[in-house]
This record gives sequence, C-alpha cells and structure tokens, in this order.
Amino acid sequence: MNRTVRILTGVVALMAAVAVLAPVRADQHDSTATPEQLVAAYGSLADTILSAKKTELNLVHSILATAYGHAQSTMASARDKMKAGKDARSEVEKLATLVSHLGNEGDAAVAGVRKRLVEAGHHHHASTEQRGQFEEGFVIVTRAAKKVFMDAAGQIGKMAAAPNAAALEAEWQKVQKQYQGLMATGK
Amino acid sequence: MKGALCLASALLALLAPACGGGAKEPPAPPAPSSAPAKPAGGFRFVDVAREAGITRVVLSGRPGKDHLLDSAGTGVAWLDYDRDGRLDAYIVNGWKLDGERVVEKGRNALYRNRGDGTFEDVTDRAKVAGEGHWGSGVAVADYDGDGRPDILVTNFGPNVLYRNRGNGTFENVAGKAGIEVPGWNTGAAFFDADGDGDLDLYIAGYVDCTLEEVLRAKPVLDWKGVDRVAVGPFGLPGAPDHFFLSDGKGRFREATEEAGLTDKGLAYGFAVRAADFDGDGDMDLYVANDSDPNYLYRNEGNGKFREVGLWSGAALSAGGAAQAGMGVAVGDYNGDTFLDIFVNNFAEDYSTLYRGDGKGFFEDVSEPAGVAQPTFKVLSWGAVFADLDSDGDEDLAIASGHIYPQVDAHPEFGITYAQRNLLLENTGDGRFADATDRSGPGFALVQPSHGLAAGDYDSDGDLDLLISNLDGPPNLLRNDSERGSWLTVALEVPPGGGTVIGTRVVAKVGDRTLVRDLSSSESFLSVNDPRLHFGLGNARSVDRLEVLWADGTRTVLTNVEADRFVTVKKGP
Repeated sequence: MNRTVRILTGVVALMAAVAVLAPVRADQHDSTATPEQLVAAYGSLADTILSAKKTELNLVHSILATAYGHAQSTMASARDKMKAGKDARSEVEKLATLVSHLGNEGDAAVAGVRKRLVEAGHHHHASTEQRGQFEEGFVIVTRAAKKVFMDAAGQIGKMAAAPNAAALEAEWQKVQKQYQGLMATGK
Repeated sequence: MKGALCLASALLALLAPACGGGAKEPPAPPAPSSAPAKPAGGFRFVDVAREAGITRVVLSGRPGKDHLLDSAGTGVAWLDYDRDGRLDAYIVNGWKLDGERVVEKGRNALYRNRGDGTFEDVTDRAKVAGEGHWGSGVAVADYDGDGRPDILVTNFGPNVLYRNRGNGTFENVAGKAGIEVPGWNTGAAFFDADGDGDLDLYIAGYVDCTLEEVLRAKPVLDWKGVDRVAVGPFGLPGAPDHFFLSDGKGRFREATEEAGLTDKGLAYGFAVRAADFDGDGDMDLYVANDSDPNYLYRNEGNGKFREVGLWSGAALSAGGAAQAGMGVAVGDYNGDTFLDIFVNNFAEDYSTLYRGDGKGFFEDVSEPAGVAQPTFKVLSWGAVFADLDSDGDEDLAIASGHIYPQVDAHPEFGITYAQRNLLLENTGDGRFADATDRSGPGFALVQPSHGLAAGDYDSDGDLDLLISNLDGPPNLLRNDSERGSWLTVALEVPPGGGTVIGTRVVAKVGDRTLVRDLSSSESFLSVNDPRLHFGLGNARSVDRLEVLWADGTRTVLTNVEADRFVTVKKGP
C-alpha cells in the first residue's frame, strides 16, 4: 500500500480512537445511535479498504499485462525464427512458461504473495470462490480461463522440440482471445 | 498496510464467508474394464507385524490433532543395512503431546531381519533412534560411496544423516555433512544432479513454524460449518526447499539458487522423487506440493534445473486445480516404457495418475484409468506401483487416513478418520479396478495410515507392504496372493564406482517391456526395497535384461530364468 493510503489509514484509526474515548454528551439527540464520529471513521476506513481492493485489481491487471506483453514479443521472436528456419525451441518453451503464468496469475513468486494474503483471510472473490468460479486468492483469472491458459501452455510446450507454425498460431489465438476476454470483464 | 488489509479481510470475511474454493464433484464410477476379471482369491494380504516383532508405536502429537504436525505422520524404509541379503525395516517416529506439554519423544526403530519371518529390534545397538527429534521421513542411499547404505531421516528440527559404519552401527554426520537445515523437513531424494558420479540431495520443506507454535496450536479452522480443526496448510507460511551438492567426499554445500531449484512459491512440499522423466539421460526432480502446484524440475543437462511443472501437465489436475499432493509413486502402469506419476491427494478429491509420454509431458488420466473414483473419499498419503500378483503389470497400493479426528463426530459426511488402505489392481488394459475388498484381512484393517513401502521381506518372490500408522504400531502386510512368475534384480556397484540410484532396468518378456528404476525414496517419505521386482506372468524367463546404470553404461543379460534373485554388478 502506498504512503498516502498508509497516512489516511492512520488518520482514520486516530479518529476512531478519539471517538471511542470522547465522553457521550447528555444532550445527544438519540443516545442509542452509534456515535457519528465512529460512523464517519468507519466510512473513511471503508473508502480505504475499497481503494486497496481496487489497487489490488489494478496490480494484478499489471501482472497479467506484463506476462502477456512478454508472451507477445516471445511469440513474435518464435515466428521470426521459424520463418528463418532456425531453432525456436527456447522461444517456444519461454512462451509456454509465460502462458502458464497467465493461467496462474503470475509466477511462483506471485503465488507466494497470494498465499500470504489468503493466510491472512483475504479473498478478493470470497463468494465466487465458494461457487468454484475462482481459485483461492485469484483476482482476475477465473478457473475456466485458467484451464484455457494451462491447456494452451501444455500444447505449446509439447511443440517446443519441433514447433509447427500453424499449430503454434492456433494455440496463440486461444491465448489472445482468452486474455482479451478477461481484460474486458475482469473486476 | 498489513493491519488495514487484515481489518479489510476480517470485514470481508464477515460479509462473505471464506471458503475452500467450491466442493468437488465425485467422479462417476468407471466403466467396466474390458480385461477378464481376476479369479476370486487372487490377492491376499495378512498383517503379521506383531508376530514378526515390528511393534514400535508411532507417536503422533495430540489426540485432537491441534496442529498439522500432529497428523502428518512418518515414513518407513526397507533396506539391507548389514548386507546379509535380507531386508531390514526402519520406522520413523514422532512425539507424543498432551496439550502444550511434550509427553514423550518417540524413538525411531531399526529392525534386523532374522530370515525366519521375524525381526530383531537393533535400534540401540545400531545407534539409530533418531537423536530425540520429531521424525518426518526417510531416504536411503550410499551417499559416501563406501558400498554401505546410509539413512537420512528428515525431521521437524535438524535432519539426521546416519552414516553406516559397516559394523552394525551408524553415526550421525548431518552436521559435518552440512545438511541439518532445522525446520519442518519432509521428502528427500538423493540423486546425481550434475552427472559427476556422486549423490546430491534435495530436501523439501513444508510449513515454517516453531515448536512453540506447534505446542500452542488450537483447532480454530472451521470445517464444513460443524466443527473446528487444525489450521493449514493455507494459513501457515510455507517453508523453502533445499538442494545440496555433494563434494564427493561426504560433505554437501547448499546450491539451491545456483541450480535453479529455488522454491519461489514457498510451496508446502511433501514427497520428492528423482527420475529421468524426459528420457534424455539425466535426472529430473518431481516435488508433490500440498495445495500448491507440484513442481517438475527438468535437468537442463549440467546440473541446472528449470521448473516446467505448469506446462508439463504434472502440476495440476485435469481441471487445472492445484491439489493436496502428499505422496508420490513412479512406475510404468501401462507398459509403454515411459514413467508415469501417481500423487496422493486429500479426501473428497481424487488422487492423480499422470501418464507420461517419455518426453517430460504428462496427462491426468485419473478418470479414464479408473483411479479417480476409488480414491475420492479417502485421504491418501503413501502409494507404490508394485506388481503385487506378478502378472506382468504394476498395481497400486495406497495408504490412507484422515488428519482430522473430528470427522468421526459427523458421520453424515461419510468420512472417517481411520480408513482402509486401497489396492487397485492393474487390469492390463491401462485401467485399474478396486480390489480392496478381495485382498484379504490385511486390506480390511481400518487405521490412519501414512507411510508405505513395498519390499520382499521374506524373500519368497513377491512384494509385501510395510505401513506406518498414527498413534499405533506399523502393519506388515505379508503377501500371500496367488501370483505369476517373477524376477528380482539387485544392483551393485563397487565402492567408489558410482551409484545405483537412478539406475534403470528394462526387462523384455515376449512382446512386453517392463521398466523399473531405483530411487532413494518414494511414496510418502518412505523407501521401497532396493531390489527391483518384476512380475512375469506365465513367462519362464526374461528374454533380455538391460541395466542402464546411472553413469550411462549398460549391462545386458539374456535368457534370465524366472523365479529367482539376480545380482547384477557394474563393471569397472
């Protein structure tokens, strides 16, 4: 979380503390109502939390966009090499890895961060996880999309030893279509 | 930041309950196999552990299993420590707790085979009781090349490496060797990673926690809304895996990062199995991770590795989900000469059979192979591919037991804490049939079983099963099954002449080709018989027996008579 959000969180916490410690005034209109200061503090905190969730969404977008960008350029390199009759095994394997990272919403290091969030009880899509739509802790990539990416990564990886340009294009089309679909709807 | 996120997550948790990702549907029952059914009475296993003298009770934390360590269980090993030609047994032990109090630190046990069906407890004489640590798994290999098998015990705590002195005793050299790495260590594999003739070592790490955290743990994880169980592994930080390069003189140095084996996801690692999965002549590495994608590290040919699990097909289920990988078995179930992988998973999820193509790619064939349905309800830990009826194809034996004793209070879910182990019979057409109910009293036992190792302890030509159970003595399931012909191959290299670990043996029997490879550990943190068993069915001999040694050289024997033990020695 950036410095601004940290500061805002601290201010909200301070407001909440003041509200709790401030004596209840005898002339308050409704003595059963939650003190206004606390409601205000909670409202500010809600803004912070929702803002953090939006930040998380944007960050995962960036992770996917970065992986996709690398995959695009790797695909281009693979195409060039195959066209030139050169060995494209390394590029194709790299492409397989990048596509698998799309499916996994990042590499193993990202998975470690995601696990830490889940450890703390954070699920970006708690209710839809329960319906099986997302893996635990995933933000944008649905289970269905993950399967598409993983299947494509597997097919691409298998081609590495003897890449076939047409088959590779076909798998790449699937990746592109799935990625674009996710980016259009992921929230 | 962390505090605000925790508050945020707590709020979100209140609004929408946290979950485990959606209930899995049980697989449909398999279609009937086209192969003829085995006649009744084919398989028969009988538990003879007590008569045999294998009685060490495996201590396993608290009765309520407040922490995952309480219910993780331990491994078992077959080895011939005194090189008298008879298989000895080693049982790893844990601790007993009462609340936050350590009641008893269990002692591992080494049982020497007397050759008459009984064993003698030689633990104290051999000095292999485990140094008072909470034991986890075991791997066996001649790590120092002196011709004698040594024992690595992975622990919750510092690991122990028992170097075989050759006089019936061992000494713990883990500190000198540089491989103690205190932590929650689980699976381990000795293998020649860089092709220099000595054995390197990979050790998996599970969860990063202290003994104090274990002792203070309380079951606070909501289970199906009806009870509270031990937290984890999600909710607990993962522990890193470690890789050690041997200097060829009995010492190791940590080389995890330089070898490309960094556990970037801090996955919850359990079983480890080294093998040449892509058929290119060097040793690759497979790590079963609990609730994380499994790792497949491909050896790039120079001791450097590349993690290719996610696109190799061996990391996730067919549906793209990470499963609760615990034990690993490697074999060739369909007789196509390519290594396949079987991974044990959690209850209400199937255990996974990955069919290999010999080039390092795998496909989850659990459902079509008939493995998914019988393994769905149980929580399985250890597994072995073994031709238990010597009919020429490898069956699957699976050790099962739940981790939450609380499930017994809720019979409506149809899950029990103590479970029957499974015997899945290979029907010879790429499928398995559940033969558990017709495998004798040994498979009728209901225990929380974890470690499992196959070995021919009575030297009668068939594979028996050694099983460790939580809070109870082991089972020794003697194989009394009807069976076909067999051949068992022992491998020897002269001291200083390299290693037998990683050796592959190929037997041509008529139009069939049978493949076995030798590893230092398998199943759930356990060790199988170092002699490789081949079931030959009706054949009276092996036409051609080819031994592909770890250094790439070969030894070939022809017309090897069936129903005997053969020792193949590597030439100079």
